[in-house]
Amino acid sequence: MPCDIVVCVKQVPHPDYLNKISIDPTGGTIEREGVPALINPGDRNALEEALGIRDRFSGRVIVLTMGPPQARKALEEALAMDADDAIHLCDRAFAGADTLATAQALAYGIRKLEHFDLILCGNTTIDSGTGQVAVQLAELLDLPSIIDAEELTFEDERSLLVKRIWERGYIKVRIKLPAVIAVTAKINQPRLPTVLGIMAATQKEIKNWTAADTGADTGRVGLDGSPTQFFEMSEFHAKRQGEILQGSPEEAVTLAIDKLVEREIL
Amino acid sequence: MDFSLTREQEILRDTVREFAQRELAPNALAWDEKGEFIRDIVKKTAELGLVGIITSKEYGGSGMGHLARMIMVEEFSKVYASLGFFFQTGQIGIYILENFGTEELKKKYLPSLCQADLITATALTESGGGSDPAAITTTAELVGEEYIINGRKVFISLAPVCDLAVIVARTGERFSTFLVERGTPGFDTPRRENYPGLRGIPVGELVFTNCRVPKSNLVGQEGKGIAVAISGIGAVGRTGVAGVGLGTAEGCYEVALKYAKERVLYGKPIAELQAVQHMLVEANLEIEAARWLCYYAAWLLDQGKSPRDAGNEIARSKLYACNIASQIALKAIQVMGGYGTIPEYQVVRRLNDAIELFTAAGTQEIMKNTIGRSIIS
Repeated sequence: MPCDIVVCVKQVPHPDYLNKISIDPTGGTIEREGVPALINPGDRNALEEALGIRDRFSGRVIVLTMGPPQARKALEEALAMDADDAIHLCDRAFAGADTLATAQALAYGIRKLEHFDLILCGNTTIDSGTGQVAVQLAELLDLPSIIDAEELTFEDERSLLVKRIWERGYIKVRIKLPAVIAVTAKINQPRLPTVLGIMAATQKEIKNWTAADTGADTGRVGLDGSPTQFFEMSEFHAKRQGEILQGSPEEAVTLAIDKLVEREIL
Repeated sequence: MDFSLTREQEILRDTVREFAQRELAPNALAWDEKGEFIRDIVKKTAELGLVGIITSKEYGGSGMGHLARMIMVEEFSKVYASLGFFFQTGQIGIYILENFGTEELKKKYLPSLCQADLITATALTESGGGSDPAAITTTAELVGEEYIINGRKVFISLAPVCDLAVIVARTGERFSTFLVERGTPGFDTPRRENYPGLRGIPVGELVFTNCRVPKSNLVGQEGKGIAVAISGIGAVGRTGVAGVGLGTAEGCYEVALKYAKERVLYGKPIAELQAVQHMLVEANLEIEAARWLCYYAAWLLDQGKSPRDAGNEIARSKLYACNIASQIALKAIQVMGGYGTIPEYQVVRRLNDAIELFTAAGTQEIMKNTIGRSIIS
């Protein structure tokens, strides 16, 4: 039962270096100079799930990203983890995309593929965290979708049982393939690349597709295709304020409650 | 001159760093207290292809090279030096077998060694000393198709847990290298030392009493044993210890830096106090210098230099990285004050590890002798 799986990945700044990132308050562009990047952690869970399915049932894992030239590194990491193919949607026309324009670009790329059975994404990214792209992608490709997936089980070649989390527990959903599924971090622990995998990755081809290569309508991708656009930003400055309340424990508690009432917290 | 790592080396570094955070960081303190060899963790590194990182693919390795290995040892040692040290001491025998062993020995042992199904210990040192190999008294006498080995090796890393021993013994007037399998009658590992540092690497004795090994277990030519062993100790042992020193220093520095940025005194983090900041700057500078000495020595080996030809650069890296490891551990304690010596902050265990590095794979004085010879010749 071969299963060809597309995994959408995004390169994000390394979480240990988030304090090194600055944002231009006028243009909203992010300055990432010198900040290491990695595959978005949730996308690595999606990749691991895809690799596990491929290892069990055969097929191919195709990793797809949209991003600037340096996003190629995320694909190299995915290939080192043993993905079979990598496609980089890289074009100025894709730049400045909001979530819908990003999903549009990914959809154009996926439509160009000869065949796929399943599309896996991470639930959210650690940089923007909207959680929108997977469902937008499904809508654009006219496919069913599930988010918050914590377990995938094949019922047969064309249907999956997906265990997903909801407010009060879990729910199992049957979904027909092809479909788009966004997974949570709980679904697995991503493998680490082997040394031979790392060495083989640098020999594998990464396909570079421009907007023209995918047949994208440039009015639907990048900044031009983004219905939401940056307007203005201001920074939120949090400051801790400490105050030591004097008196016996009973008096201090009374004082503390008075202060909380005074600030309309209670 | 290109100082950048290759993409392969970058991904390797990130992989090893993640492995260290996943597997080592949560357990390092407890392992150090127990002082047990973490064979299951070594096995996991082997499954990633790390044990065979300098062994060719033909024999089950990956052949990524010496600089890749240095980066790996550095990253492991930042978190838990004992694992970094495994790649020092546990890879010497692998290197010796690949470079000097017969085809039969290579095919028989190297794939299992790269998978860490077998572990080697390499032994020169005896109670008479380790710096003077000519003082070796262990003998190997050829009788028919077997060598009969008698003698005792001391302070041998991995001795209590090894499956194979690569040893140097006297064969007449000269010395030769042999491979001995655990279980061979007359081969025993009776004693384990109780060192305060590198406690994840058990150290002990190898004792040979009329121990018979087949003639085919001779590694390299008879009479060339010292050169064989020194080659392995240079290419793998000294570079490995240098990497452990570098990583240990970095581990201490990172703990101290984090502490100094968080600890507030006189209304500001102590990292802003110049007395503290200057200590951090010195450590930062020393680490940077050590890293380039270490990387350069390993890079030379990747360029095809023999351990002998790169001996001076290897000695410099080992001497310097091992000196700064203990110095930076002490600086970290100074930065952290009373917290510095609390076990949970994990600087003292690193200081204990650093102390062990002075004598490993050649003392600091032997390194100076090597460098000294080259600068006055």
